[in-house]
Amino acid sequence: MSDGQKGVGAISASRQYAPYLEADWGFKNTWYPALFSSELGENGVKGVTIAGHDIVLRRSHGKAYALRDRCAHRGVKLSLRPMCLTDDTLSCWYHGFTYALEDGVLRTIVASPNDPLIGKTRIRTYPVTERAGIIFIFVGDQGYDPLPQLDADLPIRVNDDDNPVPHILDNQVYVRGIHRTGNSNWRLAAENGFDPGHLLIHWDNQIVAATDRKLALGVEPVSEEAIKIIDEPDGPKGIMNMYNTRTYKFIMENKAVNMRARGKNSYYARTSMVLPGILLVEHWPIPGWAQYEWYVPTDDKHHEYWEILVGHCRTDDERREADYLYDSFLEPLALRDFNDNDLFAREAMQNFYEREDGWNNESLCAFDAATITWRKVAARYNRGIQEPPDSISRQ
Amino acid sequence: MPADETASLSRTAAANAQRVTLQFEDEVEKQIEVRDDEFVLDAALRQGVPLVYQCRSGSCSTCVGRMVSGSIEMVRDRALSLLVAEIAEGKRLLCSSHALATSVVRLQYPSSLIYGEERRSFEARLTGVEWPVPSVAKLAIAVDRRAHISFNAGQYVRIKVPGTEEWRSYSMCSTPRELPRMEFLVRIIPGGVMSEYLRQARPGERLQVEGPLGAFILHPGKGLHVFVAGGTGLAPILAMIDEIRRASGPKPKLLLSFGCASDANFFYRDEIELRQWWIPQLEVRLSADRVEDSNSGLLQGTPVDAIGAEPITDLNASAYLCGPPPMIEAARRRLAELGMSPERIYAERFVAS
Repeated sequence: MSDGQKGVGAISASRQYAPYLEADWGFKNTWYPALFSSELGENGVKGVTIAGHDIVLRRSHGKAYALRDRCAHRGVKLSLRPMCLTDDTLSCWYHGFTYALEDGVLRTIVASPNDPLIGKTRIRTYPVTERAGIIFIFVGDQGYDPLPQLDADLPIRVNDDDNPVPHILDNQVYVRGIHRTGNSNWRLAAENGFDPGHLLIHWDNQIVAATDRKLALGVEPVSEEAIKIIDEPDGPKGIMNMYNTRTYKFIMENKAVNMRARGKNSYYARTSMVLPGILLVEHWPIPGWAQYEWYVPTDDKHHEYWEILVGHCRTDDERREADYLYDSFLEPLALRDFNDNDLFAREAMQNFYEREDGWNNESLCAFDAATITWRKVAARYNRGIQEPPDSISRQ
Repeated sequence: MPADETASLSRTAAANAQRVTLQFEDEVEKQIEVRDDEFVLDAALRQGVPLVYQCRSGSCSTCVGRMVSGSIEMVRDRALSLLVAEIAEGKRLLCSSHALATSVVRLQYPSSLIYGEERRSFEARLTGVEWPVPSVAKLAIAVDRRAHISFNAGQYVRIKVPGTEEWRSYSMCSTPRELPRMEFLVRIIPGGVMSEYLRQARPGERLQVEGPLGAFILHPGKGLHVFVAGGTGLAPILAMIDEIRRASGPKPKLLLSFGCASDANFFYRDEIELRQWWIPQLEVRLSADRVEDSNSGLLQGTPVDAIGAEPITDLNASAYLCGPPPMIEAARRRLAELGMSPERIYAERFVAS
């Protein structure tokens, strides 16, 4: 019906968050999770790609280092065949270009120990911090100064709740999760994460049935307070869906298709999203717990999907119980079955957005206000737009 | 030029010539000999030292340099576009100046701007004309991909008006990132050749373009950036602000003061408001000389008035001015009064034609 005009309206709307649409390769100058600490044992070497940056990590004497995963000599990835010849270097497996972990300076060349390049050439290094069992890397411009604190690039610390969920950097927390590859642009993943209208894909999920959860078919914002902007000085920037009956109407029934929400148990949950694209779901999968999600851009068509659960945990007994709960319930029903549906939806959107300029041809509806608000906030508060890798090489 | 001729020229030069050192912003220095009977610009070009210039007649101000020491004097037999205040600061138009003693001239652009970047002509296709207000047109063109054109935000090109032999100069309001698309703001002048052309221009028409030209470019610095723009002088300023938005590293504080003749003709408010949203570091003052609608939200006065009276304490502050010559002169004076070093004030004059 309105097919002819759709494009025009969408283009003028999308102009408002043009910088967000430029961020095919993600935002830069921000902390991203690279690996679980447990994935990088002592002397372990692993390669990751974040926002087009190929990065090699090595752990030595307990400390994790990150360097550009590209030998200065012939450009091969150091991580393809890890070679550690000393405690404080990483060597290229091909001709033995050996780089200092600390600053990336070429220490020696196995095949050419008197080479004039030694001490002159270097590969770039990346700032690393390791917290809560996760190795975070600051990805972006070399020498970005001042380096933001990690918690500026993490979900907010909840303080408006009688029983607040824990923050990932709190003491005495239980942190576990998984990460896996998603075959979609990172923004499609992020927007799915907090999408207030996507409950339909979850309506028959195992965890909903197992907990007899009263899950609405959808929600409709009915107040300007439905979406709150998160704008903490030197802290996280993003949006929060203020789910309550005053701000959102919960759709429990749709007579046109004869569908009604099942379940008896109502649970309170709330979603928020902060830059560079981190979701916090409070009191999910069960009350008192929080789910964190990152959609770390790999390139412009893939992201690394991180799903982390954070729970209160004070004693060894509580840790054992949390392990049991995580292994037998939370991971299989929430992180796998429930979120499998999200991953499916993101990947299903990719074709349209990649090949048919979905950003300028989508037809958003009432509950998408949160999505648009997120795009505008991201357009404003990002610390830079990542260029494609051909320009990373020129930096 | 045959070798023997060069030799004889330099012998002659040695007899009655002055040595002039040209200092580029990137600390590159070039030395040239300037004969008594030639202009500094001509001497530089003759000796294979390209400089930024355009009109060669003293009117466009493109070739301006600042005399640091020595004696360089401009001729008096032509209309020169430098202001008295600028001449007092040592500014000279090199296309119209003789060297009277061994001298040092500072240029406010890096050598990298011109070395290896020859001025060239290329073809483009008109892709659209929009009218933000009746007195301003936004002209969009698409450059032939084979032309391999690049430029710096703030620079301009010359465009030959189709159907005439006339050329007009316009600063890009788009950034190099948008290439092959280039956009310009054109002030409409009744009877002006470009203005008349744009009224009936059709997408797809071919245009002859020459450039990029000009030394009005961003200079590295983390201090406050003050931008003052009048009318279509907004074009290169917008390109610069967009360039800063996309540049690496933390952004400096930005102040944009933009004014139009009247609130009825005020244009691009929405474009400026978008940038205000995208760039939290950007402060904006919008003004018009004549404000008839008191609800317009515009300050009454010039964009120079709107800069305010607060001293500029940031020693690394710099300013970029673009608009008609009186606005530029007033802005220079005001910024100097507020404490800004004249060294760090860069300007591009817009003269309607």
